[in-house]
Amino acid sequence: MTVLFTAGLIAYLAGAVAGIAGVRAPRRARIGAFSFALVGALLEIVAAIGALAQGGVTAWTLPSGVPLFSWAIRVNALSAYFNLTLGILAAAVSIYSFGYVRAMEGRRNIGVLGCFYNILLLSLTLVFVAGNAFFFLVAWEVMALAAWALVSFEHEKARTRRAGMLFLIMSHAGSGLLLVGFLILARASGSLDFATFHHAASALPAWQQGAVFLLFFLGFGVKAGVVPLHVWLPEAHPVSPSNISALMSGIVIKTGIYGMALVFFDFFDAPPAWAGILVLGAGVLSALLGVLYALMEHDLKRLLAYHSIENIGIILIGFGAAMVFRALGHPAMAGVALIAGLYHTLNHAIFKSLLFLGAGSVHYSTGTRNMEEMGGLIRPMPVTALCFLIGAVAISGLPPLNGFVSEWLTYQALLAGFGSTQTLTRVIFPIAGALLALTAALAAACFVKAFGISFLALPRSENAAQAHEAPLSMRLGMGFLAAGCVALGLGATWFLPVFDPITEQLIGVRASSALTAANGFAISAGAPHAGTVSTVGIAAMLVLLSALPALFWLVWGRAGRRATGPTWDCGLPGLTADNEYTATGFSKPFRMIFSALYRPRREIQAEYEVSPYYPTAIRFESEIEPSFEKRMYDPLRGWLYRMAGRMRSVQAGSIHAYLAYIFVALLALLLFGVRG
Amino acid sequence: MNLLHNPEFGDKLVTLMAAFVLVLQIAMVGQRSLVMNIRLFAAQSLLLGAIAGSIAWYNHAPHIFIAAGMTVLLKGILVPIVLERLVDRIDIHHEIAPIVNTPLSIIISGALTLVAYLVGESFYHPEAGAGSLGHNTLSVAISVFLIGFFMMINRRKALSQVLALLTLENGIFLAATCLTYGMPLIVELGVFFDVLVAVLVLGILMYRIRESFESMDVSKLRRLRG
Repeated sequence: MTVLFTAGLIAYLAGAVAGIAGVRAPRRARIGAFSFALVGALLEIVAAIGALAQGGVTAWTLPSGVPLFSWAIRVNALSAYFNLTLGILAAAVSIYSFGYVRAMEGRRNIGVLGCFYNILLLSLTLVFVAGNAFFFLVAWEVMALAAWALVSFEHEKARTRRAGMLFLIMSHAGSGLLLVGFLILARASGSLDFATFHHAASALPAWQQGAVFLLFFLGFGVKAGVVPLHVWLPEAHPVSPSNISALMSGIVIKTGIYGMALVFFDFFDAPPAWAGILVLGAGVLSALLGVLYALMEHDLKRLLAYHSIENIGIILIGFGAAMVFRALGHPAMAGVALIAGLYHTLNHAIFKSLLFLGAGSVHYSTGTRNMEEMGGLIRPMPVTALCFLIGAVAISGLPPLNGFVSEWLTYQALLAGFGSTQTLTRVIFPIAGALLALTAALAAACFVKAFGISFLALPRSENAAQAHEAPLSMRLGMGFLAAGCVALGLGATWFLPVFDPITEQLIGVRASSALTAANGFAISAGAPHAGTVSTVGIAAMLVLLSALPALFWLVWGRAGRRATGPTWDCGLPGLTADNEYTATGFSKPFRMIFSALYRPRREIQAEYEVSPYYPTAIRFESEIEPSFEKRMYDPLRGWLYRMAGRMRSVQAGSIHAYLAYIFVALLALLLFGVRG
Repeated sequence: MNLLHNPEFGDKLVTLMAAFVLVLQIAMVGQRSLVMNIRLFAAQSLLLGAIAGSIAWYNHAPHIFIAAGMTVLLKGILVPIVLERLVDRIDIHHEIAPIVNTPLSIIISGALTLVAYLVGESFYHPEAGAGSLGHNTLSVAISVFLIGFFMMINRRKALSQVLALLTLENGIFLAATCLTYGMPLIVELGVFFDVLVAVLVLGILMYRIRESFESMDVSKLRRLRG
């Protein structure tokens, strides 16, 4: 297994070299880089499955060449699970990239893209298996830099550069918090090794526990995109090429989730109860606000980026519930909640990358990301449309696909919280459940919009009318992920035992047997008076019910008369694409209901010649207020600039002044050392 | 008669030469001519090579001979030649323009020597049986270092700053050789390489500064500030 794992890493390295070597030969760079990435991903999948099946911890150390530090690799159930997620995504995205990147040949530097793509995969793998804090932070930073390079790939656009810079700044701020957190833990445990951090945080005094928790929660929260630290995400994810967006939303933000799982359940024995409630609250807030902002987006990729925030929120609801249950001493329920969070991590990775790849295919063939310029794409692009639909159903949490299973488990965990004795959880959990239900409903509405406006009805623009299906490799990549959505939904009962080694490692319980107790086809939540659901059964019913009308027609309708007529057009002759429901129109009710949040501004200008009742042209403009940017980040930025302005007087720009600073500091230290 | 094999005499010899190193350092602070400064530096480096050689001889540490030889070759001969040619080539004023005037500079140097002895004393533990060699020479080395640093702050021209940096490095070398009777050879080689590269890079940099600002005065770098 270690051999396979290392071979995968070497394949990524070879891919990076192949990319950079082929800067002048785009075709060779593309095929080399993405082939090696595919091979590496497949090797990592096999290695991860092997590690999960084998269980336990495998640790080894690479020679570092740097004293005091070692490149310690530690593969346990949790890291293997995240590596499996990464491998699946990397394989699908690499296949997709063969076709997707081909269109850039001659226009963009594919060698650089392939190089950083492989470096990103390599550093992601290392983040998940790093066995000490130093190695972890190095891999973490390499990942951030590679991701920044990929986000800024289309750097000729000012907006892209700005998004990349925002990502880099926020990412570094987060890393700073992590560094402090690790140092506190290292001082307590006397080593940088993750093995010595096990439950070390719970041995700290209460206020340090709180500090460590907050540092890690904020530090990892930036990368995960937790509200209100999410502002970089809807900027950075849409501007990168779509295969990169898929990786960013699918797995890069999940490194934050991995870090939180590591800290909350491994470094802490049982974090304080308020911490669990805080995570739960942040999860609910992220889920709700993520979907609400997504509803207002007409840029397909920005919409998907906001949905990433929503789904990170759902994952955190599971984590937060697990933490509260642990603090209250209900390990079995904590197991269910943790499984819900982890399962949703994998599920979101798969369906979100699928959707981003779908959006990429649409962009590939229409050249636009604006939904108002799409429409009717289901006819020229049936495979893309089907894959996108599967992803949309999965992300909306509709049965029988994978999103449903993990969201259902999250509900079950929250409902089980109602049965616990503490008054606080009896109040908080049902509220969280209700808000989660609202989130899921809004997500469904959002994807009705996204799919309906983009793929159904008539083309809204010339580009959309001339769309064509994506090439085979892109369809293959999407199909692979779509199959994953279906398999993880229908096969949930068979997949759940995968979580046993993880929950045992993190909280010491094996929860899957209770979940799959009913029979091979049904999941039942482990708590008393809990629900039971069978995705296979629902799927079978779906098939049967859709066969029912056909049956009716066969029995009664065949003899009936068929009448064909035009669509009702309100008396206006000739329906065109202008008569279609727009994305703006579709989301109007939500804009009105949640106007307190959106603070929408709209402007209507009508031009007329004779009377206002007969306008010749109407210009409509509507926008919502970006509350977090305006109320939180703008003041913060202003304060930073003011402070930086004051600091500038120290930065005189004179070599003599700088030397004098050093000299005075040196003298002071020497004299201090003599006295002390 | 047996002076060549008497370690006590060796210690005294080294201490005397170290004192001359300090004298040369203060002479550099007082000397206004750039070329003279470079020659003083060369003399200081040669003296330093002699110190290293004596330590190698009296303590039977042959690998220090290599360090001594390299000091003489590099800092005593090569670097001064390079610097003098640089002075000729870029045709700068041969006068050093210090920020603090010369008498005050020398007084400050004296104060820094006092500080260095204060610091050096605190490292001296005769009851622990340490040799007396470290005693005075460490203080001298720290003085050379501090005065070198002060010279770096006190001078406007990039070239004279490089010179100050080199004397500062001499102080470090003196401390290292006297205290440890020679660092591992690989460290010494690394340090020499550093010095060589630093002189080369700074030489190039000086051309650049002159090209951009038509002056060697680093105070003008202030204009680079955004």
